[in-house]
Amino acid sequence: MRYVDEFRDAALGRAVAGEILSLVEPGRHYKVMEVCGGHTHSIYKYGVDDLLPSNVELVHGPGCPVCVIPMGRVDDGIAVAHEENVIFTCFGDMMRVPGSRGTLLDAKAEGADIRMVYSPLDALRIARENPDREVVFFAIGFETTAPSTALTLKRARAEGLANFSCMCSHVTIVPPLRALLESPDLRLDGFIGPGHVSTVVGARPFEFIPADYAKPVVIAGFEPLDILQAIQMILRQLADGRCEVDNQYRRVVPYEGNLKALEVMAEVFELRPHFEWRGLGFISHSGLRLTDAYADLDAERRFSVPGVRVADPKACQCGEVLKGVIKPWECKVFGTACTPERPIGTCMVSSEGACAAYYNYGRFAREREVV
Amino acid sequence: MTDPAPAPACTADHCITCGDDGIPMTIVGHHAEPGISLCSDDAGELWPVETTLVDQVLPGDRVLVHAGVAIAALAGGGCE
Repeated sequence: MRYVDEFRDAALGRAVAGEILSLVEPGRHYKVMEVCGGHTHSIYKYGVDDLLPSNVELVHGPGCPVCVIPMGRVDDGIAVAHEENVIFTCFGDMMRVPGSRGTLLDAKAEGADIRMVYSPLDALRIARENPDREVVFFAIGFETTAPSTALTLKRARAEGLANFSCMCSHVTIVPPLRALLESPDLRLDGFIGPGHVSTVVGARPFEFIPADYAKPVVIAGFEPLDILQAIQMILRQLADGRCEVDNQYRRVVPYEGNLKALEVMAEVFELRPHFEWRGLGFISHSGLRLTDAYADLDAERRFSVPGVRVADPKACQCGEVLKGVIKPWECKVFGTACTPERPIGTCMVSSEGACAAYYNYGRFAREREVV
Repeated sequence: MTDPAPAPACTADHCITCGDDGIPMTIVGHHAEPGISLCSDDAGELWPVETTLVDQVLPGDRVLVHAGVAIAALAGGGCE
């Protein structure tokens, strides 16, 4: 398939791996964070890390949309889902994220009308088809997904659909990156920037990383050669003593992003003063909520939402995994009490989660042998 | 032209929306709803896709789709 096969070419991959080897200084340890969970998934699916020198370490970032949702937020969703006459809709992986008393799937088994959707527009269709029911869409995701929610709310408004509302848990990518860079327990040499988030926001929002923290950023696609080339470009910058935002994914990501998407997001959403991230705590101006102009479509204003903060299970170390402080297999419950079938932590829920990626692609057995 | 296959497209171990996936699709034609185009994925399955966030698209154009919305036009007839 054109534009896929060439980005999975093994010979080209080995050639780029050779260039990477030529760029690293012996005795120096390099830590590169892939921000996006999609990259984490590709790295372990295709064994990209196996092509890297031992002193180039990939650290998994906070860019998995479901992994960063705190337990209390899941509890809020379940509470709304149990409201009388409600049809609660959400994306697939979100249904398996544990709250303090179970998941949305568990709530569905208990009788709540919870339905999986692929797009917010599907939730809107359900609202049209069920005018006597309250249809709530549980919106999660980064800037890739937020435009879809914004367009859906504009459609609901235009159609005068009074039985549709949105529980907004959208987040933005830059604040957690700044929080990570400020973290004293994490030393990073560079970032593989998120490909599809950047399709919407462009490259400009990442300029603070080289400007304020002197680290290179390379926005990358999701094929194995994309990721390898991005690592090569980061190491090239380091070898040259440069740090800047570069775009390996130019075939999709324009420097200025998608201006129409940014415009519709600005109309419908505003920044929350702060939002809780799983494992990272409260981060200022990192979450989105509906503007007052869309207050009538805001499920948090329409329903009673507990809003109780819930501490993560003590055994779960998702927070440290999300910050790249530990590897998934170093978590006490990885692969034993916590598996993709019965996840304790969010990183084991989605295939983009670092723990699930390790587990599903055999890192579990391999790393244990090393231990 | 047939009606689109019903969503969802997620599999048991992977949610394409939670995964921030972008799905390359080809514009096939108009949909009854304004702002929506009928698109075909590479397996030939048809989907309704909101295309108001990309510049005017015509049948045969390629777009990157996430959560039912085209977030980017793909130049050159394909560049996923």
